[in-house]
Amino acid sequence: MSDVLLEIGRNARARAVVNALGLPIPLPVPLRRARGPWRERPLADASVVVGASAGAELAPVIAETLAAAGANAYLTGSDSIAPAFVEPGEAYGRPARALAALGENERVAGVVFDATGLRDVAGLHALYETFHPLVSRLARSGRVLVLGRPSGKGPAAAAAQAALEGFVRSVAKEVGRGGATANLVRVEKGAEARLGPVLRFLLSPRSAFVSAQPFVVDARTKVSEENPPFVRPLEKKVAVVTGAARGIGAATARRLAEEGAHVVCLDRPGDDGPTSQLARSINGTALLVDLGADDAPARIADVVRSLGGLDVVVHNAGITRDKTLGRMSEKQWDEVISVNLGAVVRTHEALEPLLREGGRVVCLSSIAGIAGNVGQSAYAASKAGILGFVAGLCPILAERGITVNAVAPGFIETRLTAAIPVAVREAGRRLAALGQGGLPEDVAEVITFLASPGAAGITGRTVRVCGGALIGA
Amino acid sequence: MGMSGKTGRRAVVVDGLRTPFVKAFTDFTKLDTIALGVAATRGLLKKANLGRRDVASIVWGGVILPGTAPNVGREIALDLGLDPACEAMTVTRACASGLQAVTLAAAAIERGEADIVIAGGSDSTSNAEIKLPQKVVHALAPVALGKADPKAILGAVGKLAPFTDILPTRPKIAERTTGEVMGEAAEKMARRNEISRAAQDAFAARSHHRAAAAMASGRFDEEVTPVETSEGKWVHADGLVRADTSEEKLSKLRPVFAKDGTVTAGNASPLTDGAAAVLLMSEEKARALGFAPRAALTSWAYVGVDPADQLLMGPALAIPKVLDRAGRTLAEIDLVDLHEAFAAQVLCVLKMLGSAAFARERLGKGEAVGEVDPARLNVHGGSIALGHPFGATGARMVTTMANELVRSDKRTALLGICAAGGLGAAALLERID
Repeated sequence: MSDVLLEIGRNARARAVVNALGLPIPLPVPLRRARGPWRERPLADASVVVGASAGAELAPVIAETLAAAGANAYLTGSDSIAPAFVEPGEAYGRPARALAALGENERVAGVVFDATGLRDVAGLHALYETFHPLVSRLARSGRVLVLGRPSGKGPAAAAAQAALEGFVRSVAKEVGRGGATANLVRVEKGAEARLGPVLRFLLSPRSAFVSAQPFVVDARTKVSEENPPFVRPLEKKVAVVTGAARGIGAATARRLAEEGAHVVCLDRPGDDGPTSQLARSINGTALLVDLGADDAPARIADVVRSLGGLDVVVHNAGITRDKTLGRMSEKQWDEVISVNLGAVVRTHEALEPLLREGGRVVCLSSIAGIAGNVGQSAYAASKAGILGFVAGLCPILAERGITVNAVAPGFIETRLTAAIPVAVREAGRRLAALGQGGLPEDVAEVITFLASPGAAGITGRTVRVCGGALIGA
Repeated sequence: MGMSGKTGRRAVVVDGLRTPFVKAFTDFTKLDTIALGVAATRGLLKKANLGRRDVASIVWGGVILPGTAPNVGREIALDLGLDPACEAMTVTRACASGLQAVTLAAAAIERGEADIVIAGGSDSTSNAEIKLPQKVVHALAPVALGKADPKAILGAVGKLAPFTDILPTRPKIAERTTGEVMGEAAEKMARRNEISRAAQDAFAARSHHRAAAAMASGRFDEEVTPVETSEGKWVHADGLVRADTSEEKLSKLRPVFAKDGTVTAGNASPLTDGAAAVLLMSEEKARALGFAPRAALTSWAYVGVDPADQLLMGPALAIPKVLDRAGRTLAEIDLVDLHEAFAAQVLCVLKMLGSAAFARERLGKGEAVGEVDPARLNVHGGSIALGHPFGATGARMVTTMANELVRSDKRTALLGICAAGGLGAAALLERID
């Protein structure tokens, strides 16, 4: 079950042997991950290069975010963004410097390019100019971040903005071999102030397995906390995680608790042991419910009511009954659709009135729901249904400051993927830009971010956690 | 205004006295922190002509506390033969311990707990206890506390193997959470706030020149008491001040904490032995006894910042708090006295106070706290020149500034101190007519 190539990659001597023999094996680089709860300065002393196209508009947010998060900014390209960096640099003792001030052999932890000013095809040249000299200097698990607008004014601008996505997806494949990621964030006009926490998350090691992913930050949802905390963001909040006994659910429950939430760990009565143990270890509440049962939503609502209300719901429980459509029984089909999609809708309906202002709903989807997969027609249908559910639900809850999002894991090292045949499993791992499978903790980090008050700019979206691949369970 | 509102009582600084400050492991090596505290307090009692029954309480500050007698204040009272009813406590707030003792004494007086309190602090780096690693302590516990039969001894020896990590560790001033030595923090702050080596050396030279001038003028005579060493030698004056130093001489020193760094032994405060004591009374009592009170503590503030960020920036946050509490602006303040842990750290704090960006982002204020005119800042030098016995420094600053207010006929003096753990302290002294 363990990833042999990753183990070899971890061992310097074995790595040297593989390289010396000239074996055509692309050794994946162990990803840098964060431990413990969020910190005030997740980017402490990291060197982050910032560039921008002419007319870019996000420099103030970038400057403020980097300085407060502890990063040292190095500016490249035109001087137009420099003034925005003066004040935050002075306030936090992190003056921005010209890229030339960074030693030529020094690696950079991240590159942020603000392309919001991009209005024509010629402007795309700036991408080459900025990244060509830097791409080889990216540190292990480095970060490439391109910021754009969801749409351009007129066809030429739209073309230029759309080009960013192809660029980021390809760069992700290129830098992935070094454990680095590349992502695109499209910021709607008027949502600039909501970008900061997203930048923080994507530049930090917590986004280790998120790559080749376009994000959209908009202002649809009401903001309920003006200055969202970066440390213990879920203090005094109540969360429900379904399917919490193991894997992604357990990792998520732990992370939410670490950030201060009281977590209701929900799983089937048959999983009493691990569920209760988890709840005890994170000081949460164990709730043993079969989500397929008719009284399940009411029982969950009762427990939530006894805790005084609800802030975060993570619909994680899911099952697979992989069979080609021709061989699948009616019962299997019904089970998958009912647990993976039907239960989510029913549970949500019971909990919606209990959600407090500023609440967060996160539903687990899957890459299979986006890309489809042989033998997963029911599973993929249920997981694609989730995407429609969050898109349809988000405008309804926006007024109350509640966001709704889907998280679509790719190949994650869990009990589910361990059951896949060896050859498919290997392929699943190596197809990712990062050349390896993700960990349940990687998905938990993304869910935790989406559950935080700072994620008010992301709603109705699907975030892939797939290491830059489009295959998985 | 001030802290006296509740009872209507006001605590006043009546007098203050300190030992000479000398380099660690020189003249005072055989005097521990208690002996130094005794010397300063004895001198102060004599100077103020107070008897053994007059003092209600001693509040003492210290950083390197003796393991067998951590309540240094009480030991001082007992060694001096004060009335047993003179109760005492010892506080530690790293380099702000001395100021903490003074503000605690003032608070106690203003709450009506006492009329006459001696507050101060001392430290003897020369007598820092060499610590045994916890592994040794735990392994030897059965032998030391139980019956030391051969089996227990063998068991203890077994637990100690391998023997590489049981050597006593050298005491050093490193942050427990980050492992960062304070000089490294100063170095980092200098780099981040773009403080040049030349500016640091110039500041250090000025500290020495001003301290030397104060000594030469006899300015310190009223606040320094001679101390007799165990060898029978009398030490009359501070031992670390160098009148003949210069920016040029200081610029030749090698950086200590980073290869291409800027912090040197010359622009940092040295390890020092010494003690300082302040006599505080309720204003009513002071006047009744015929004393002329020098100053009152209008306001004070203690703050904490993340030690992993800018360890020594505390005063930049504490000073605006103190000013706000007193309803004053920095421009209105006559004298500013900042503890000089490092020239770099003082210059960083000054830069932050002068920055509108800092005020907006970090203090939520519309404009900068203000610039500090060098002519008003550390007028008689500071810890770089005089030395820094950790627990004593705050009490030294209170005494020097209280005296200066009277001598130069000024109204207000602002004190700022940075301390380990990311702490900062500030206090406002106001002259009493």
